[in-house]
Amino acid sequence: MARKPPPDDGARAPGFSRRTFLKTAGAGAAVGTVVGNGAACTRKPTIIGPGAAPLTLRVNGASQTVTVEPRVTLLNALRNHLDLTGAKQVCDRGACGGCTVLLDGAPVKACMMLAADAEGHEITTVEGLGTPEKMSPLQEAFVEADALQCGFCTPGFVVSGTALLAKNPNPTLDEIKDGLAGNLCRCGTYSRIFEAVQKTAGRG
Amino acid sequence: MPQEDKAEEPSVTFKARAGLPSDPKEMEVHAGEGDLKPWDLDDLPKFQQVGKPHTRIDGPLKVTGQAKYSYDVKLPGMLYGRMVGASIPAGVIVSIDTSKAEALPGVKAVWTAEAKKVRFAGQDVAAVAATSPEIAADAARLVEVQYEEKPFVHELRAAMEDGAPTVFAADEAPVGEDQTVRGNIAGPNKGGRGNVAAGFAQAAVTIEKTYYLPVHTHSPLETHGVVAHWEGDQLTVYASTQGVYAVREGLAEALEIDRKNVRVICQHMGGGFGSKLGPSATGSAVAMVACKLAKKAGAPVKLMLDRHQEQLCTGNAPSAQITVKIGAKKDGTLTAVEYTSYGSAGVAGGAGTAGPVRALYANNPNLKIEEYSVFTNAGPAAPLRAPGHSQGAFAVESAMDELAEKLGMDPLELRKKNESSPVRSAEYDPGAKAIGWERRNKKAGDTPGPKKRGIGMANGNWYVFANPNVKVQVKIHRDGSVELFSGAQDIGSGFRTMIAVVAAEELGIAPSDITSRVGDTQFPVGPASGGSITTNSVAPAVRLAANDAKKKLFEVAAKALDADPAELESEGGKVFVASDPSRSLTFKEAASRMPGEVIDCTAERKKQYETFRGDIAGTQFAEVEVDTETGEVRVLKMVSVNDCGFPVNTLTAKNQVIGAMIQGASWALLEDRIIDPMVGTMVNPDLEAYKILSPRDMFEAESILVPQANLGNNTSAAGIGEPPIVPTLGAIANAIYNATGARVRELPMTPDRVLAALAEAKGA
Repeated sequence: MARKPPPDDGARAPGFSRRTFLKTAGAGAAVGTVVGNGAACTRKPTIIGPGAAPLTLRVNGASQTVTVEPRVTLLNALRNHLDLTGAKQVCDRGACGGCTVLLDGAPVKACMMLAADAEGHEITTVEGLGTPEKMSPLQEAFVEADALQCGFCTPGFVVSGTALLAKNPNPTLDEIKDGLAGNLCRCGTYSRIFEAVQKTAGRG
Repeated sequence: MPQEDKAEEPSVTFKARAGLPSDPKEMEVHAGEGDLKPWDLDDLPKFQQVGKPHTRIDGPLKVTGQAKYSYDVKLPGMLYGRMVGASIPAGVIVSIDTSKAEALPGVKAVWTAEAKKVRFAGQDVAAVAATSPEIAADAARLVEVQYEEKPFVHELRAAMEDGAPTVFAADEAPVGEDQTVRGNIAGPNKGGRGNVAAGFAQAAVTIEKTYYLPVHTHSPLETHGVVAHWEGDQLTVYASTQGVYAVREGLAEALEIDRKNVRVICQHMGGGFGSKLGPSATGSAVAMVACKLAKKAGAPVKLMLDRHQEQLCTGNAPSAQITVKIGAKKDGTLTAVEYTSYGSAGVAGGAGTAGPVRALYANNPNLKIEEYSVFTNAGPAAPLRAPGHSQGAFAVESAMDELAEKLGMDPLELRKKNESSPVRSAEYDPGAKAIGWERRNKKAGDTPGPKKRGIGMANGNWYVFANPNVKVQVKIHRDGSVELFSGAQDIGSGFRTMIAVVAAEELGIAPSDITSRVGDTQFPVGPASGGSITTNSVAPAVRLAANDAKKKLFEVAAKALDADPAELESEGGKVFVASDPSRSLTFKEAASRMPGEVIDCTAERKKQYETFRGDIAGTQFAEVEVDTETGEVRVLKMVSVNDCGFPVNTLTAKNQVIGAMIQGASWALLEDRIIDPMVGTMVNPDLEAYKILSPRDMFEAESILVPQANLGNNTSAAGIGEPPIVPTLGAIANAIYNATGARVRELPMTPDRVLAALAEAKGA
């Protein structure tokens, strides 16, 4: 997944985020062994939590502050604290794509990411792509092709499809299947979803 | 499924042109007094809205994330609930200690189960409500439960063995008084006709085979659950349900309060497939528990099951082991069918599968049916999209294919030879043409190379169910805006849009001119959405209410147009004199002349008429590619040919048909609830090891609808949710056979089973 490296976190001093910690400690190192052991640490780590702490999230172009426990997922922060309920918790383990949002333009599963880790990134949810009155071209194509039934998976598919078309404006059917392979629909609307993506690409 | 007869209602008689456009039949039907002549074949070419594709009214809300599902409801001060399920499959709860959970800051209420016997892993034990979902999860982990474990039985075939642990003591089993219970086996339900022994004696060819299907879970994406909110003695429940009225009834009874004090709302619903027809779930009292927690805490509570619990306690489709014996003459004419089915609905009964064998090939004079339910220590089943029928049709239609092979007959010709439904007879050729039936292998498996393609087909059946106890309200406001009210809910079928199309047809306006308000017990009573009952139940009440409102509008317009109301018609947003359309008002102008603020009409569905066909037919074709080296099966194309009377909205109807093929392919190839034989809990209670079909597995899917004036109600419309999933499993199995010459008799048709079948075929 092409994700931008997180920006320098200096702006948030004297706070500390899990991200800064990982960056300074060296990503991939086992956390337990690194704590307090930081030859590579240039800054003294600050622990946030276990209680709630304020975070600033850039969501759909606006900065919003939420006060959440560090363990709160990006999905729960969006849904329960920012009232953005388009992204859904379905499997709660990254298997179904129902919670897909864009992080700096790339699709991520918001149930698999801590809200704290999303700080400093541009988060786009399905609500940020269009409104019922002014839908995005892909959203319009979903309605026209009737690419939904119960609609619970639809926000995730719309977000994944948007990311796919941004990266590949003219995907083949196989590329569409690949681009949407991380999303599941139980009602069985896949072929209509492909049609909506194809229609949007054709109009682009 | 309610199918209450209003036979005593006084009747009016109508003559109508019924059946297929290619083969019209004059029919006399007896409608309830005050009902309208049914839309028939004469109306078919005149429809402005019915039978056309309409995008769904709530589409823009759903694609922008603005549609509020029950799971999305957030109320001020709302707490988050969490259910604790039993960790063992069988035993007794010795103690439940919630003291640590209650002591956790943020925890506001705790509930514990009264039942002490545990019969399946996941069964409700306790629940907590806390100020955040994270704290609720912590609290759930702090609930300490002590069990006395007992032996258990995890699966159908194991439960049928002599000496298997019994799930129920003989006097505790949930069976009818007329049924006997032997060990874990209850039954049989018997049925049939004629004399099978005599029938088999006339047969030139006989086959007898046994088929096996595992348990499938519903796996709706929105789990079961509610938001419960008390204001004094008034309870409002936002439920993820297929029946708001059923939830109200169930909760009022469980909580011992008046129904008038309970309001249930479901604006959008994230999938149910039959598992959300009751007040809570078949294996969890989640809604009732949420109401109790909310009462205790004095705050609204959202209690949604997590995915793990969803897989364990909210229903599933019974497993089945079905033996089919068929005898036929040399020309393929069936002489006898014997059908024996054992199924397990877990701790529940009702694992019957004989619907298809009863309905298909009804010309066969000799049929013997025995159905048994087998108890296992697993969550109770729930109706799953044509309950029992996909299982039964898989067995019958696989056996028919095996019979065709033995007779040396084309399997499609064998079906045609024994067909008893004129509707399905008309469905075969369009389907065969769309799949390219002539391309199938004349000899199964007779293609070069390791990747082999083949084509198969299978039939399905369903019924025209109706719930006549349904009302609908139509309001035409003075500004010309129109509202429709129905207590029934839109479970993703496009119900909101369907009722708007029917009302628009009657009022002569566009569906987009109408606002449908649904899914609320404050609205006129609607049916639970199950059994493909909703369209047949609600559409005629919509038409009646709209017709009443139209008559009132015509009275107003007639004065302005200096005409008699009986001379008026409405179409294209205009009200006009039929003999002189230049004398017209727009719908809005007509409405603006009404004396009061609103024309407000409520109509009740009248009794069900005689139908052209009381059943729903349907046939399906599949083309697959099988990699004979890896055993992997890919579906390349499926074609479904279906009837649902007059389809109201072809865009959403075809979507349901295509969706059924996709869900059916998922059952056929992937889905299998696996219970660990050592510990008795589900190994794959999730969505990555319980695999469902994904975009990468997708195939070309085509829906062909065959409209027919089925009468039955004043719109001639019926539902299509269930029929198209009945044939899918068999069509794919038969295509695999045509591709490879290997018969897979056990689902899911995973590579290991396909390779085993290939080895068996090679050996034979």
